[in-house]
Amino acid sequence: MVLLEATAIGKRFGGVIAVDDVSASVHEHSIHAVIGPNGAGKTTFFNTLSGFYFPDGGTVHFDGREITRMPNWQRVAAGMGRTFQTPSIFPELTVHENLQLGIWSQAGQAFRLRGGTRAQTQAVEARIDELLGFVNLASSRSRLVAELSHGSQRLCEIAMSLSTSPKIVLLDEPMAGLAEAETERIVGVIRDLRERLGLTVLFVEHNMRVVLSLADRITVMDRGRLLAEGTPNEISANEAVRDAYLGREVVDHV
Amino acid sequence: MTPALRTALVIGGLLALAPLVLPIVHLDVSIVSEVLLFAIAAMSVNLLLGYTGLPAFGNAAFFGLGSYGAALSIKYAHVHFIEAVLVGTLAGLVGGLILGPFLLRRRGIYFGLLAIAFGQVFYFIAYRFTSVTGGEDGMNFARPYVGFPNVHFSLNEMSFYYVALAIYLGIVALFSVVAVSPFGRTLVAIRQNEVRVRYLGINTDRFIFVALLISSTIAGLGGAMFALLINFAYPLTLDWHQSGDFVLIMILGGAGTIWGPLVGATIFVIGKDIISTITPLWQIFLGALFIACVLGFPKGILGSIAAFRDRRALVGAASAPDAQTPLPRGTS
Repeated sequence: MVLLEATAIGKRFGGVIAVDDVSASVHEHSIHAVIGPNGAGKTTFFNTLSGFYFPDGGTVHFDGREITRMPNWQRVAAGMGRTFQTPSIFPELTVHENLQLGIWSQAGQAFRLRGGTRAQTQAVEARIDELLGFVNLASSRSRLVAELSHGSQRLCEIAMSLSTSPKIVLLDEPMAGLAEAETERIVGVIRDLRERLGLTVLFVEHNMRVVLSLADRITVMDRGRLLAEGTPNEISANEAVRDAYLGREVVDHV
Repeated sequence: MTPALRTALVIGGLLALAPLVLPIVHLDVSIVSEVLLFAIAAMSVNLLLGYTGLPAFGNAAFFGLGSYGAALSIKYAHVHFIEAVLVGTLAGLVGGLILGPFLLRRRGIYFGLLAIAFGQVFYFIAYRFTSVTGGEDGMNFARPYVGFPNVHFSLNEMSFYYVALAIYLGIVALFSVVAVSPFGRTLVAIRQNEVRVRYLGINTDRFIFVALLISSTIAGLGGAMFALLINFAYPLTLDWHQSGDFVLIMILGGAGTIWGPLVGATIFVIGKDIISTITPLWQIFLGALFIACVLGFPKGILGSIAAFRDRRALVGAASAPDAQTPLPRGTS
């Protein structure tokens, strides 16, 4: 079943056509990657799916309904979580407080002008423990997020995107700027998103080795256009993809 | 008893006893009432600027609406004290309802400019609409009777002070509860990263609108009480200079703190009173103070003290590695 479907998306900024007629189908319980060289329009395409921008043309369907021009906060309520290339967090709040907000939001409690009841607070705390356990950050619970390493901030952001109980998680270059060991941690977490939580993952990435080993479906973009879509084997065998982006040695190496 | 409640009782107690020491330092009780009302106005700015990060550079509009709401209702409808305060408070709320939808569309410096511009609109209405508002001369009135049945007197300066104190402490209590509520924490999160708050499924516009309404209502209440303190409403209470004073008071005391506005208002109002008896150039000293504050301790007086305490706590925790000392907090 297709969970997230983008059809003929177009987006321009002034005279620059950033995304031109790109479609993609993200299947439920899949790990789907969007790749392409710098300036291919990956992030712009990604942002039209998450409602950061609205596309100029085309439609986006999610979980059986059209969301093309749905405000971003409503998409979250509909079951979409996302992270950003530079971790988007609350630096001056603790890890615990960073996670609290999304849980309140999902429970419809964020608008309360008074603190919650004991039962509500306990439920929130239990959920925070669960999320921190999942990304392995339990020991950093009461630290300020600004003090965490880049990789831990990213894990915290992934936990935040899970705090609203999404069906799909959109990750914008989750491995960007990370050391090898931290990359492995994130790769493990992305696998767990599907295996342990049963979620669907769409991520933008340019680390080809990671993409080919992690994704089960890949959308390749180049200069704002859709170049190919397929399984890792199909993509690594695709001549157009090899010419435009990969470089033979990278693909052969894998 | 929590430390916060203990602080509140100590400060509330000191304020309640303040009139006893005033004659010693040759201050009139009405000046301490003015401190409280300016602290209230600065708290209305604090909610938007200190907590939510919105440059509320036009809150005098709501303060002045409160002043004129009280003055006009007394002059034309001959209402009592309590009703005049209510009308002024409602005028602030209505001002927020009218301006809120426009202000909501902008963030950052554009929000600030829009707030100033809207404030000036009210200023010029009060200034030009001479037949109703008295224009530049303002409008004076006699302080009306309290408004309780069979109470045929108006508040003297001393009883006015205690009414102002009760209102001030009520607003402090409101802030203390709201600041730690999910709503208050969401406002702080909006200040730090609004995009992330939206991507947690929260319609931030709705939160900002409600914060604006609370802020404008509080400013209206402060303005109504201010008009009743001086028995006078005048256009400059709506002016952007007045808004600037409120911002200055808030920053001086400490943005995002409960007691900062009171500390800032005390220094501002009493400092102005003392210096202006010595020289008419008191604004120079005020400007110098503001520059010193922004350059030297941008977190304000209370914010700097809290940061200093946190640093000391951190040093203590480092020397005792097993101690479960909570880490410093930037915003609580």
